[in-house]
Amino acid sequence: MPPEQETPNRTIRLSLNQQQLELLDRTVERGPATSRKELVLLALSDAIAQGGAK
Amino acid sequence: MTRTLVSDDILEPGTGKAFELIKGQVMRIEQVKGGQCVDFNAYNLHDYKEFMHCGRTRTVHGFNPSEGDFLWSQPPRENALMYILRDTYGRNDVLFPRCSAYLYESAYGFHDHTNCNDIQAEAQREYGLTPDDVHDSFNLFMCTEVTQDGSATITRQASKAGDYVEFLALMDVLAIPNVCGADIMRTSNFALKPVQITIWEATDEELAAVPKVPVLRSQRTPDQFRNSQIKATRELIRDPGYVPQFTNVPIVETVLDIPLTPELAKGFDQRADRGLYGDDDGAALRDILFTWWEQKFLNAASGAPSLQSTD
Repeated sequence: MPPEQETPNRTIRLSLNQQQLELLDRTVERGPATSRKELVLLALSDAIAQGGAK
Repeated sequence: MTRTLVSDDILEPGTGKAFELIKGQVMRIEQVKGGQCVDFNAYNLHDYKEFMHCGRTRTVHGFNPSEGDFLWSQPPRENALMYILRDTYGRNDVLFPRCSAYLYESAYGFHDHTNCNDIQAEAQREYGLTPDDVHDSFNLFMCTEVTQDGSATITRQASKAGDYVEFLALMDVLAIPNVCGADIMRTSNFALKPVQITIWEATDEELAAVPKVPVLRSQRTPDQFRNSQIKATRELIRDPGYVPQFTNVPIVETVLDIPLTPELAKGFDQRADRGLYGDDDGAALRDILFTWWEQKFLNAASGAPSLQSTD
């Protein structure tokens, strides 16, 4: 059994067009996150917490 | 406060009539004997190119608009033309088209038969409109259903004498009800009956009770159209000087690198819709992102405009 290794962080390349980015920027302005990336991570965290059907 | 009567008419079977309904007036369409479907068209009285749009109305209010709903005009106008003030029966339809001569010839073998398209066209002709101008009808007192296999059906109706729908004009409109010509279908229980059309001035209380609707920059008027001239010839000829000016084109994608901790990556893999997106992590994450956004921030049904007033 090999010694347990720490799993490296994974990066997902998320393609968004200018309109989708505009929506993200306007959402960031409303305060739930401080950046686009933080907003995406918040969405993912919330979705994971919700669980249930995809 | 009582209403002031403007006019009172009976529409006989096989007929329709165009009424000028001024902003603030109420039109009541009432059953005389019961069980009669009424097809309905409405135009901006001062610009017939703006008319009631069943598609827009359907996305906002569903297949059966009723009391408390609006009749919307088509994009890019998207104005509330009328408001349904009262509806005592509550079964109206924006799913089915008007019946036409073609229907009765193809399915029943009639050379001539009462039909809503021709009745509407004849009624609209009083105001210079042509059969091509008749628009998708708002079908009052019409019971329709969408079945699980996706097909739409018409069922019999149970409206009684005295049942009515009332429209309040939110702008000056030409309102054209017609007695549906379908006497060999379930639509009006296999018979044609007269209906009563009454117009009043609305009371102040009625006017004050209409919910506010948004007034948005995207609601364009003809003077904002790149081509604001109504085409007056029938043949379609290419404009050699045409240069496309589509909105936000080119659409350009930007890549955001989203780093996931091992814990988030594990959660993402459980959450990602692999059946739809396969191993495309970016597409799966985009879906999660915008699904979350809809749940969190969208204040209207998917695909429908919001009615949240900004004033």
